[in-house]
Amino acid sequence: MQVSPPRSLTELFLGFLSIGARSFGGVMPWAHRVMVEERRWVDEADFAETIGLCQFLPGPNVGNASIVYGKRWFGLSGALVAFLGLFALPFVWVLALFALYADFATTNATLRAVVTGVGAAGAGLFIGTAVKLGRVLARRPAALALIAACFLAAGIGRVSLFIVLPIAFAAALVCARKGWI
Amino acid sequence: MILLELTLYFMLLSLISVGGMPSVLPELQRYVVDVKGWVSAQEFIQIFAVGQAAPGPNVLIASLVGWKVGGLPGALLALAGMCGPAAVLAWWVADLWERFKGSPWRTAIQRAIAPIVVGLIGSGGYILATPGAPDWRLWAIAVASAAGMLGSKLNPLWFLAAGGALGAFLLD
Repeated sequence: MQVSPPRSLTELFLGFLSIGARSFGGVMPWAHRVMVEERRWVDEADFAETIGLCQFLPGPNVGNASIVYGKRWFGLSGALVAFLGLFALPFVWVLALFALYADFATTNATLRAVVTGVGAAGAGLFIGTAVKLGRVLARRPAALALIAACFLAAGIGRVSLFIVLPIAFAAALVCARKGWI
Repeated sequence: MILLELTLYFMLLSLISVGGMPSVLPELQRYVVDVKGWVSAQEFIQIFAVGQAAPGPNVLIASLVGWKVGGLPGALLALAGMCGPAAVLAWWVADLWERFKGSPWRTAIQRAIAPIVVGLIGSGGYILATPGAPDWRLWAIAVASAAGMLGSKLNPLWFLAAGGALGAFLLD
């Protein structure tokens, strides 16, 4: 596949703006559609590799990808422009939606019930994602033990992530080096 | 003062947000609801719901928490705090990561992070479905949407919409 990176900052900005504007139900599929299929800035393998890195890094995945690609093509101004393009519209929309909601929710119990239902369904999507990703790992007992330990500590025990993460990461790194996960 | 505290907290959270926003939701909820009392547990699930239903990266939930605490400046600072340190890290690590392609440490780090992220995302789901005392209705909606997601390839928005309809039916 012939790929050609964006030629100007404007093009970079508009590309990421259209990712942000359309990303109902998740950003990743739209990032793929815009960058790989529509604008052909990068190929499939490049996209997968970069997203893989961004999933391992802290921070929002596609947000990080906007930094990595922006830097690659235009340096610091590219990273800033791509990031701002990605967040500009969703930021405005989410605040507008929330303001609208807050206005009505104080008097309307049904609306509160609907939105709480949406929240519970969103929680379910997280659980589904955890199951989907976990199925691949679950064949290794050590991986299963790590998943369970993190869930018990952070989810049930409500221990701070600032304590859970360093301990879990050290333990997981030992397991990984020994080939257990 | 509260804005400074909020911004610093999100900057710290940014650095440990491996796996993105879903992984740090348990910690965020613990801090803003249990420790600080800036929002109630019920408000937190509604913030999350609005953040999920709106388009855009789900890290925008941070800006809604910021909005709740300190209006527009709070929203901007929370988002900048949540993204900034991680973005700086991404800037530096991208080249380094490329250079260590095939190194055993790189592989070990990737393998080590995977189960942690799974455990934390699961925790996030559990905590959001359990604001306050366990409520079978919220759990039923969550389990139904998890099952739907695992059993189909529909856009997740459909499950959010179904959750809203079930919410009106069960919770009102």
